[in-house]
Amino acid sequence: MASVAQNAREVSPELCQPRRLQASLLLDFARDEIAGCTVLAASRQEPPLKVVRAFNVQDGAALAHLHNVSGGLLGGDQLALKVNVGARAGVQLTTTGATRIYRPRHEAPPATQSNEFTLYEDALLEYVPDAIIPYGGARFSQTTTIYLAQDAGIFWWEILAPGREAGGESFAYDSVEMKTDVVALGRPIASERVRLEPHRQSTQSFGRLGPYRTWATFCIARVGPSAAEWLALEYELREQAMPLTKHGETLWAVSALPAHGVMVRCVAVHGRHVLPGLQNLWQTAKQRLYGRDAVPPRKVN
Amino acid sequence: MERDSANEALAQPDALADLRLLHLADSALPIGALAHSFGLESLTSCELLTTRDLPDFLQTYLEEAGTMDAVFCREAFRLPAAAASDNDFAARWLALNIQSSARKPARESRAGSASLGANFLRVVLGLAEVPLAREALNASRRSASLVHYSTAFGLAGNLLGFAEERVALVYLHQSVANLVSSCQRLLPLGQSDAARILWNLKPAILAAANRSAVTALQDASCFMPLLDWGAMEHPALSTRLFIS
Repeated sequence: MASVAQNAREVSPELCQPRRLQASLLLDFARDEIAGCTVLAASRQEPPLKVVRAFNVQDGAALAHLHNVSGGLLGGDQLALKVNVGARAGVQLTTTGATRIYRPRHEAPPATQSNEFTLYEDALLEYVPDAIIPYGGARFSQTTTIYLAQDAGIFWWEILAPGREAGGESFAYDSVEMKTDVVALGRPIASERVRLEPHRQSTQSFGRLGPYRTWATFCIARVGPSAAEWLALEYELREQAMPLTKHGETLWAVSALPAHGVMVRCVAVHGRHVLPGLQNLWQTAKQRLYGRDAVPPRKVN
Repeated sequence: MERDSANEALAQPDALADLRLLHLADSALPIGALAHSFGLESLTSCELLTTRDLPDFLQTYLEEAGTMDAVFCREAFRLPAAAASDNDFAARWLALNIQSSARKPARESRAGSASLGANFLRVVLGLAEVPLAREALNASRRSASLVHYSTAFGLAGNLLGFAEERVALVYLHQSVANLVSSCQRLLPLGQSDAARILWNLKPAILAAANRSAVTALQDASCFMPLLDWGAMEHPALSTRLFIS
């Protein structure tokens, strides 16, 4: 007796082809001057991307959780996130959990995610997601572009895990590509082009990660402060990061960008050491640049 | 001092061009290359990089940072042909160097590359008459922009009439040779071992040059977190032999 799957193949081969999903999430945040806070003024949501609502954070910003209701990215998925942060608005974006990149079918193209953030005058975006976890065999390509207007600022990090370590999967993915551009007043101030293919080029090579497995990058930028102020922040954050650095366990580094910001880098043997360090440095930098506390996003309570 | 004109240089036989290219890539060229370790000093001082790791590290360097810089070198080489006018050339030149700056997260390494780049163009201008190189240097100075070593080398290579492939190869070779030279001052690395390491890297240099020929500027990637760490933390070293 033929299985259901065999019958379906005989009836319509197209039905058995992996479905290519194209979806986008557009979010427009604006400052409500009367209420004195930021609101989600408009959105367009296509499954599996979803934002349920925006919550008020105590400093007047809006907190939104980015959901992927399919639980992660499947092979061939093409997802797009576009976020506009209006003048003087403050937005905090996070994910509800790790971004999982599933093992694709053999013939599936890479899962892709494109992110575009546009910040208008004096806007602030805090993009503080959980880690990206590429599963064994996963192929993933992400492009992120952040545009900053005068006085606009960002705290933006990404954490790349080696895989499902608890299941013994480490660097078992096929490829991960991450292209990121931070553009201030039309001029690129930070461009990252990361391409990892562990089967082709060892991530454990000394020049790459060596004994470390998790990698994080944290861009802190605001259009306005002088080069001297950024240098001072570099030194302050470096002093703060020094006790976080434990050779053979976690390394932290900080450096001023060509203009308008500093970059923080971290490599860690265990991913659990990364997030507390990022939050620590975020707190200091936000106090220095905005005179107020960083508020880690609420997720479960 | 008498200087050649660019036209004369263009008319030289290949052998003379090769000699001149070797000259410009020599570590003795007074541009300050010996003063920069580009993060190696931090890595060696905390024993993250040892003599034993060096061949693997340099191989990775060529696959990542070396290839990316070679892509920028080639892009600069192609600028004169791509530009529609002098103004267009200046705009493209500035944009290319701004992009290169944005790819370098470590402040000291970025400044080091810029120091070598500007010095290199000045040396070239002292040796040959290459008006477009002067225009590039002036445009960067006027806009307070950086001139990176990779772009300076590529541009000068074109203007002096060298072949693009040779320029990319020689740029990569002198880059990695300078790193080996730094390591001779930072690690227990003797001259024979250093020579052997550099000799064994020739196929990797060729591979990097070939990769750079088919990689678009926007796609040129570099993933060297440990070198980033070394370069970004170099300012924190209490005793330093190198500027970066």
